Amino acid sequence: MPTVLDSRTRQEPRLVEHIERLEWPLPLPVMTSPETPATTESVEERTARFERDALVYIDQLYSAAMRMTRNPADAEDLVQETYAKAFAAFHQFREGTNLKAWLYRILTNAFINTYRKKQRQPIQDSHEEIEDWQLARAETHMSSGLKSAEAEALEHLPDSDVKDALQQIPEDFRLAVYLADVEGFAYKEIAEIMGTPVGTVMSRLHRGRNQLRTLLADYARDRGLAPEREAEVTS
Amino acid sequence: MSCGKHHNVDCSEILDRVYVFIDHELDHASSEQIQTHLDECGPCLREVDLERMVKALVARSCAERAPIQLRQRVMFSIRQVQIDLNTNRDLG
Repeated sequence: MPTVLDSRTRQEPRLVEHIERLEWPLPLPVMTSPETPATTESVEERTARFERDALVYIDQLYSAAMRMTRNPADAEDLVQETYAKAFAAFHQFREGTNLKAWLYRILTNAFINTYRKKQRQPIQDSHEEIEDWQLARAETHMSSGLKSAEAEALEHLPDSDVKDALQQIPEDFRLAVYLADVEGFAYKEIAEIMGTPVGTVMSRLHRGRNQLRTLLADYARDRGLAPEREAEVTS
Repeated sequence: MSCGKHHNVDCSEILDRVYVFIDHELDHASSEQIQTHLDECGPCLREVDLERMVKALVARSCAERAPIQLRQRVMFSIRQVQIDLNTNRDLG
């Protein structure tokens, strides 16, 4: 049983992050503008504009929702909720700013506030201090002779293995990797979407990718695409 | 940490910046510096290629198509919100 002081010190960073997330104003202040000509646009015109500009992202949002919720029914609910919220706030969205990032932020917010609670998963402890990921990298150069073989093996992995491996890394890491690799968002955009500093995004990417690569190498080994770990060490 | 050969920038510095490099988060000068190193250092190039491969693998594997009924549900819920907005406006 930790003392009160200990537990408070330990919990503080996550608590702060949690509160920040709960208080996310939608839409972002930076993306809103009092000059937005919302008054001159009828609700019908706004609906048409929303359907034209926002619905094109439905496949992408659904893919992201699948990685978040891990099942099609929840993913569909999450996407529907995202679009309903986005449309309700659309009069505040400033045209010309990044609509896709804005939608992703609403999606992420809805997931955190609704589905993560509903799924009752313990928040995975991500150990996000930036103390050892650079140390971990230093070793990778040693085994460089194996790299081409490893790359070739990974390339032949079926999509299902990659999805499974992604599901196994902590949620915050997975989301950062997803937003960077699948959607190609810049670190600054990922930081806005996830409501964290850019440094945290970089740390999550480092840790997520390191873990992912280890898992993928395991899958490749299990499928006989890559040599056993022991053989690698002695070769 | 080095591959043993002399480079203007040490291998360890390159390896520290693999992700910011492949994610195009570096300015032009820093990218050039890394590219120059990669042109002369096989081990670092293989490392960068492997990380690029993993990135491409994730991108390749995660594309899904939204079910057609989801599109219909979304359209329906937008209409619902539209009705609510109109109602609010009329009441206001």
